[in-house]
Amino acid sequence: MISVADLISHAPLPGNYFAPDVYVRGDLEMGLLENRQSDRLLALPETLLQAIYAGLEEETGQAARLVLFNCGRWWGKSFYTRFWEQLSHHYEISPGEMPMAEFLRCLQQCWTTHGWGKLGLDQNYQNRGFLLIKIWNSPFARHAPQWEYPVCFLEAGILSSFFSQLTGRELHCIQISCESLGADCNRFVLGLPKRIEPAETMVTNFDHDAIMQQLCQ
Amino acid sequence: MNSFLESVFNDAENRYLKPEELRLLSQYVNSLPDRLQVYRTLRDREIEIMQWVADQLEAAMPQEKAELLERSIKNMVLMLRYCAMGMLMNDDRIVRDRYVAWFGEMSSVYGTEAIDATLHQYLNQRLTQILSSKEMNLLKPLLLLAQGREPQTAALSGNLFS
Repeated sequence: MISVADLISHAPLPGNYFAPDVYVRGDLEMGLLENRQSDRLLALPETLLQAIYAGLEEETGQAARLVLFNCGRWWGKSFYTRFWEQLSHHYEISPGEMPMAEFLRCLQQCWTTHGWGKLGLDQNYQNRGFLLIKIWNSPFARHAPQWEYPVCFLEAGILSSFFSQLTGRELHCIQISCESLGADCNRFVLGLPKRIEPAETMVTNFDHDAIMQQLCQ
Repeated sequence: MNSFLESVFNDAENRYLKPEELRLLSQYVNSLPDRLQVYRTLRDREIEIMQWVADQLEAAMPQEKAELLERSIKNMVLMLRYCAMGMLMNDDRIVRDRYVAWFGEMSSVYGTEAIDATLHQYLNQRLTQILSSKEMNLLKPLLLLAQGREPQTAALSGNLFS
């Protein structure tokens, strides 16, 4: 027989941990932004984002993409660790034991609450070994310079690192459509490096559907 | 603070309140003793209410896994807490933002739609027995929202709260 008193006293009630109204907290007097675990949050001004792109382009030229991607990988590595800790702490189970759909829903909410746009997963290519991730309203695309190719290398780095750690396999991530080039959203394809490498050269000539078709051939 | 009170405060330096706004404000203030009473009842009788609902659920769905039943019951405890707070503050944002979007999806992730629907039915039945109709009217809009039934639809469906 189920005892409600035991249920309530022994386990936390699993609410939406990343709900924006409870996750982000500010202290006006101290000028601090914190999350609900009292970890500091960093607000990135638009000017800083624009300056990062412009500065890297000026200093490193073509290599700016690689620098951004690698920064993203480092960021993604720490982000994954923090995300995993926060979920374990709040839900009192290892995120590895959560249904994947719930884990991914937490990731989507976390992404939105941090102001990185809305993230969606397209699993139509999963049986071909690819995961397609869509991001709408990315601030990293909005404040990027007008390049002739997709610009969200930072996010591509974060996603490759996050999903590599999640799956335990080394995955690469390439952006195949970009809001900065007029696309409806930013699409990122994730997969084994060898399998998605051909997409690198296609991004400037083909649209995302054509790229996915060719990758799946 | 609810969104109406917030807007009233924000406008304080620009103008005095219109008669209609004052009427709404006094309506809310007058309803506060009742709201507090409902809140106290739900707080003090939480376990008793939920235990009754849990017992009915177990009897009605003996084939379901205990783990899923427990999960749904815990979510319902949370739902009623959000509804109680929303009712007290006369503000449905807490139910909308923290409950509706999240738990609607979790319900399909875990495949507990049928359990949740049965739970809602028993919970509504129990609350109707415990609260007076005046008190129930204060809580009902929040419950309808949390249970995914907009008020108009529920009114048409008739015996939801009978």
